[in-house]
Amino acid sequence: MKLSIYRFNPETGEPPRMQDYDVAPAAGDKKLLDLLMRLRTADDSLSFRRSCREGICGSDAMNINGRNGLACLTALEGLKEPVVLRPLPGFPVIRDLIVDMTQFFAHYHSIKPWLIAEEPPPERERVQTPDERERLNGLYECILCACCSAFCPSYWWNPDKFIGPAGLLQAYRFIADSRDVATAERLDFLDDVYRLYRCRTIMNCTEVCPKGLSPSHAIERIRIALLKRSS
Amino acid sequence: MARPVRPLPVFLNLLRIRFPVGAIASIAHRVAGVLLFLALPPLALGLDASLRSEAGFEAMRDLLSSPWRALVGLILVWAAAHHLLAGIRHLLMDVGIGGGLAQARASARAVLVVAVLLALVFAAGWLT
Ligand code: HEM
Ligand code: SF4
Ligand code: SF4
Ligand code: FES
Repeated sequence: MKLSIYRFNPETGEPPRMQDYDVAPAAGDKKLLDLLMRLRTADDSLSFRRSCREGICGSDAMNINGRNGLACLTALEGLKEPVVLRPLPGFPVIRDLIVDMTQFFAHYHSIKPWLIAEEPPPERERVQTPDERERLNGLYECILCACCSAFCPSYWWNPDKFIGPAGLLQAYRFIADSRDVATAERLDFLDDVYRLYRCRTIMNCTEVCPKGLSPSHAIERIRIALLKRSS
Repeated sequence: MARPVRPLPVFLNLLRIRFPVGAIASIAHRVAGVLLFLALPPLALGLDASLRSEAGFEAMRDLLSSPWRALVGLILVWAAAHHLLAGIRHLLMDVGIGGGLAQARASARAVLVVAVLLALVFAAGWLT
């Protein structure tokens, strides 16, 4: 199988280049990550992140033939050759396919991604009705892989001020949580031309989310919550 | 680990990114908006000139019957049609209609196709 992979080594001072590879998948190789691992036994200078190899850790997000995705969830079968691999668009490249996620996680932290609940905690757990629990579906599954934010034109142009689809989906995950008491403060924080309203509903985020989530829908819910509050 | 002194490279070559249909409809909306914005002053001046005097009217008519009119007309009608349709699509999505991925893809495709068709129909009508 033919691949063309973005290479960058910060130590040489040379600009990034594309390197061609030709590698035969072995019998058990089903996903792109399997092939990358095989490739690395031949060229151990090739750098990429990976851990769980099953779509849980979110570390092997990359641009695969022009679309962001997880190498471990991308089937080799049906991939157009040469398979062109580049780092996540718009993120600073540390080496090869490894990008600097500092800013991405700073946005995530800015939305206070933890439950702000009544004190003191109850004897046992904080209970929810099945309906209330249901509202977290499609939100709690986010693995923070950054496929969405790195495919969002608004995030490319304003990565410092726009929270981006991943952070906004996470923000809504806590707004939607019946046990969280900080909804008003959370909405106050988001009600900002940059943080929330840079989103132009392009839906690139939803197009590429490897977990099948819909950040654009979460953003719509935040907008509606703000609208309801102001009326 | 010491950070390199040079700024890190960023991959953001838009020609190497495979855009979904929604992104194409969106960028076309912006292009159309800018075209409409640029077209407004000349159109207003032209209307003003044509209403001011008979000579002005004749001059405008001559201008509009130049061979360029079809191309300019085609582009402007496309821009108006696309901007209006994409704008309506946006407004519907803002009130919660058609926000699912499948519907959004279908409506984006429809906006792109219908705007081009409208422009062609209009140009054909104008030329004959
Ligand atoms: C000659 C008249 C018009 C001009 C010059 C114009 C111009 C523009 C421009 C420059 C933008 C910014 C583009 C962007 O942010 O992507 C825009 C956005 C927009 N326009 Fe218009 N426009 C006109 C008429 C209309 C009409 C009639 C509608 C209603 C259907 C409309 C709906 C919208 C919407 C909804 C947006 C926001 C798009 C977004 O959030 O990305 N526009 N317009
Ligand atoms: S919403 Fe999807 S694409 Fe975005 S970070 Fe979460 S899992 Fe990844
Ligand atoms: S819908 Fe909003 S957040 Fe998602 S890609 Fe588009 S602009 Fe970005
Ligand atoms: S390796 Fe963990 S998500 Fe792909």
